[in-house]
Amino acid sequence: MSITILGIESSCDDTSAAVIRDGVILSNVVAGQDVHITYGGVVPELASRAHQQSVVPVVDAAIKAAGIDCSELSAVAFTRGPGLLGSLLVGSSFAKGLARALDIPIIDVNHLQAHVLALFIQQPDKKTDTPRFPFLCLLVSGGNSQIILVKSELDMEVIGQTIDDAAGEAFDKCAKIMGLPYPGGPLIDKYALDGDATKFEFAKPRMEGYNYSFSGLKTSFLYFLRDRLIENPDFIQQNLADLCASLQKTIIDILLNKLKKAAKDLNINQIAIAGGVSANSGLRNVLTQMAVKQRWEVFIPPVAYTTDNAAMVAITGYYRFIAGQFATYDMTPFSRTVI
Amino acid sequence: MNDTFHIKTLHDLPLAAAKLAAKINQGDIVVLYGTMGAGKTTFVKEVCQCMNVVDTVNSPSYAIVNEYSTKNGQTIYHFDFYRIKNVIEAFDFGYEDYFYSGNTCFVEWPERVAEIMPDDIVAVNIQLQNDNTRIITF
Repeated sequence: MSITILGIESSCDDTSAAVIRDGVILSNVVAGQDVHITYGGVVPELASRAHQQSVVPVVDAAIKAAGIDCSELSAVAFTRGPGLLGSLLVGSSFAKGLARALDIPIIDVNHLQAHVLALFIQQPDKKTDTPRFPFLCLLVSGGNSQIILVKSELDMEVIGQTIDDAAGEAFDKCAKIMGLPYPGGPLIDKYALDGDATKFEFAKPRMEGYNYSFSGLKTSFLYFLRDRLIENPDFIQQNLADLCASLQKTIIDILLNKLKKAAKDLNINQIAIAGGVSANSGLRNVLTQMAVKQRWEVFIPPVAYTTDNAAMVAITGYYRFIAGQFATYDMTPFSRTVI
Repeated sequence: MNDTFHIKTLHDLPLAAAKLAAKINQGDIVVLYGTMGAGKTTFVKEVCQCMNVVDTVNSPSYAIVNEYSTKNGQTIYHFDFYRIKNVIEAFDFGYEDYFYSGNTCFVEWPERVAEIMPDDIVAVNIQLQNDNTRIITF
């Protein structure tokens, strides 16, 4: 018998719903992108809160796009945390209500675990290669920079993490210092393509173990520009591409040096990246080059599954369903970062 | 009477942090003013250490709120309203559930949501000087 999971994600900015059957994606809808089209441009005004407005149309669109009926669902998976409590409550309450009405189980999902399991989402038409256990996953996003040792689908251990700013935050905040709009990470990636990455050098942190620190880089970037701008008010405009390329190289070096150290220490050659920053072309390129040198097999999920999305919640729900790990109705959301 | 500390290096921070930690009562809303890179998160990290937080204290800029536990089981919320565009977003995620939970809250970039700040707050100012030292006042 097939296992069909509806996933609901509402941990941060965007509401999203997805349907996965036996590990294969059938639909993945993110509010504000596809909903207006699939819902004929009309999003009902259900309540004032952003997720409350979108959760019903988003789930409806995901079910329709999957071409299934609600009665075919085996379980409803929802993000339990970490995230904003008010936002999580919308997704979890809706999941509970729908599951009760359909008389099927609910499954709570850890957002960070889901980011990693996004690597295992299969497409209907072709087989996606997946890493062998144990593997190392570099989870990099606006809010996370972690090295995770993945022992099995549901057994993960964070072996390194940022002690201050996340890598995505370093991109965004340094972009802000240069006067670029938020979020500036993708813009830095774009301008960096035409820049000289060796033109400027910025301080790299000396951190024990596999932990990261990006706060010092932000501050040294701030001091550097402040001092240059006193001599030349047009310094940023004249050097934008080189600044972006040099900064991006620094962040990537910091990220990958620790990953390389962890892979060597643990003797692991299966390497994956996940999270929003894995869309950064510079990171993908350097990682691919490093893979050849280090004899790594590298796994990078499609961009659509790297930002916050429900497909990763549904795939996690699928593995938890197989393992018989279900949630209870009195389970409440959490905002603490644990995996 | 305000306390003022001139922070020349990171080594000067623990003393200021201990002083602030001693001033905080459980349930207080502690707001931090200072430009980007002034050291708001770094200072919260140090104060949390004085309060025996067991979790890693890192920047909540993206998550908007981080939750930490202390050794004796207290909860501390650490906010950053940097990404918040208007006060409606704060209402949307349910800030009241945190602010009025009876747990201590640290708040970075409170000026983004000035209208929802309670009257009785502990205000901390961090000024980045031209010689890269900081003046911390609270």
